[in-house]
Amino acid sequence: MASTFSGITTALSSLYAQRRALDVTGQNIANANTEGYTRQRVQMTSASGNTLPTMWSTSDGIGNGVSISDIRRTRDEFLEGRGREERANSAYLTNQKQQFVTIENTFAEPSDTALQHQLGELWGAFSDVANNPNDRAIRTALIQQGNTVVDGVRSAYDALGAQWKANRDQAEAYATEVNTLAKNIAQLNTTIQRATAAGLPVNEMADQRDVQLMKLSELTGSTASIQADGTAAVYLGGSGLVQGVTAREIRVTGADRLQNQTADPANGVAVRWADSGTAAQVGGTLASIQDTLTTTIPKYANSLDGVAANLANTVNALHTGGYGLDGAGGREFFTGTTAESLRVAFDNPDFVAASSTSGTFDAANADALADLATTAGGPGETYAVMIANLGVEAQSVDRRQAIQSVVTRDTDAARESFAGVNLDEEMTQLITYQRGYEAASRVLTAVDEMLDVLINRMAV
Amino acid sequence: MAMQLRVTDGAITNRVLANLQGNLTRVGNLQEQLSSGKQISRPSDSPTGTVSAMQLRGESRAVQQYSRNASDGLGWLGVIDTALTSSLSQTGKVRELVLQGMSAGTASTADARAALAAEVENLRNSLIGVANTKYLDRPVFGGTTTGERAFDAAGSFIGDAGTVMRTVGDNSKVQVDANGAQVFGANGSGSQLFTVLDSIANNLRSSNTAGLDADLQNLDVAIGTIKTNLADVGARYNRIETSRTAADDRLLNVKSQLSEIEDIDLPNTIMQMQLQQTAYQAALQATAKVIQPSLMDFLR
Repeated sequence: MASTFSGITTALSSLYAQRRALDVTGQNIANANTEGYTRQRVQMTSASGNTLPTMWSTSDGIGNGVSISDIRRTRDEFLEGRGREERANSAYLTNQKQQFVTIENTFAEPSDTALQHQLGELWGAFSDVANNPNDRAIRTALIQQGNTVVDGVRSAYDALGAQWKANRDQAEAYATEVNTLAKNIAQLNTTIQRATAAGLPVNEMADQRDVQLMKLSELTGSTASIQADGTAAVYLGGSGLVQGVTAREIRVTGADRLQNQTADPANGVAVRWADSGTAAQVGGTLASIQDTLTTTIPKYANSLDGVAANLANTVNALHTGGYGLDGAGGREFFTGTTAESLRVAFDNPDFVAASSTSGTFDAANADALADLATTAGGPGETYAVMIANLGVEAQSVDRRQAIQSVVTRDTDAARESFAGVNLDEEMTQLITYQRGYEAASRVLTAVDEMLDVLINRMAV
Repeated sequence: MAMQLRVTDGAITNRVLANLQGNLTRVGNLQEQLSSGKQISRPSDSPTGTVSAMQLRGESRAVQQYSRNASDGLGWLGVIDTALTSSLSQTGKVRELVLQGMSAGTASTADARAALAAEVENLRNSLIGVANTKYLDRPVFGGTTTGERAFDAAGSFIGDAGTVMRTVGDNSKVQVDANGAQVFGANGSGSQLFTVLDSIANNLRSSNTAGLDADLQNLDVAIGTIKTNLADVGARYNRIETSRTAADDRLLNVKSQLSEIEDIDLPNTIMQMQLQQTAYQAALQATAKVIQPSLMDFLR
């Protein structure tokens, strides 16, 4: 036979359980808009009577109320893993898109002002000199137009250099951020490991760690897995960044100027492990920056050098064959064969080799130079090919980014659907637990009344 | 917990925000197209379009230059045409004077012939002046000479044999000068105009009728040469003018092609803009409706 007062303890256990469940619901509602918060669910278990029949533990088969066995975090590790992966891809492509927008802005084609137009004006200026080889003003205008083209090429190169430098600085800043995040995750691991061992709840700390893991994945494309002891292991392409309570560090090494990068690509920028010095396999934003520094910008800088070299070579090849107003020949129009070093060789209008015969106003040479405008394989064509490549590459990044952002959005929605707080749902829970509490109180009152009858009114 | 598709406020908010962003981006793109009038503002908008646009711009620049070169060439040929026409009328006048000097009746006296000779000499000086006609500071009969004149005071050619060419189309170069040695006869040749005129003046003074006869033949050769050159200049003038018209036509063509590639279709873009704005407003209204109600609104 069960104890007379067992009904009170059963009701009490329910009062406790419903109140705790109400508190958890309150916590969920309070964090409805907290980023990275995972809704929590109270796991209630009915307390059974004794299951092992012994002499002193007899049971009437009715349970002893309710207990809260767990406050569970509703989180799907698979969805989290996918989320980290897609966010990393998205971060990579978003950064790539930004880089290409900047490069496209640098060249600003097609327009009536950019380099292609300036080249056209240069050929026109040669044609004008061909028409008036005796006019020093027109020759001076040609030299000025040459300087304009040189400035155009160089300022494009400088803009690429500035973009490179900005990315290089950003890479350092991101590496520091990665190291800080890794350290934080290791610290959270320590705390979570201890709390788990002590049986304390770690839900909010785990949420915090998930937010940091996500940030780390966006920056580096890292993957993570939760270990049995509650710690998160973080990997960069197979190598551990955070393992248990220890975090490793990465750093950015190599060239610090675009010129150094292109001159010696083997010693170019790389993300490396600080301890071993071997290359770290990164993804996400850091990979985009690394690719931009080692591949994208150097490629367009080289193409621009190619345009400058082509311009200098084709113009010089003809110009050296002509004669200036002073009758002297063999002069080069441009010096330097890179985008950075390209210059107009002289500022004396008499030196423009318009004539193909010394001492005459025969302007055949200037005319031949003007014909470079339509020469196949000339600087104009080299430049157009480069812009076409830029367009194709930027467009492909644009499209991939657009698709990836949809995928990422869907993954985020799936994660949010699973782990997020639904206020309607919480309201329903709120009422359920509220009613549960009220009902438990009612049971207590009933038992109380029963005992009142038993104690105060019986056998009086 | 039973697995069922959950929808959370956070998920709705994110999705709605993303959709609104997408809508707004499209409105922004259309607005950029409308305000710039261009559908290609960067290479990635259309890589092939960009390359075509660059090519067409280059072509447009070249064709404009052809047109300019042609105008300059027409300037040269116009001046030469005038000079040659004037030369013809003056040499015609000389021819009359020679015929007058050869007829015994009208110029029987030495004084009369001296007067004729003096007039021929005047015409000769005037013709040397014509032969030194300049266009933009260059003697048009002097070839590619850097000198001021094509003929010296004595009437001998001091220019060179170089030709002045103008590019008036792709691989189309036209000579725009007329060489003095060709037009007025080479130095030392019997039919060089100024030598002939010199000889005429001398023969008139010395009443050398036989000499005048020979002079007349040489003069006719010289006049014939000028006429041939005048016809040649006229032909070249026409050729350049045709090229210029072709260049202008092509410029128009190139510009319309460029516009086809680069410019927006205004009615179409405005239509799309309206549609996009309507879509955006609908999205906003839907958002306003979706986010508001929840169970809380119905609980006391």
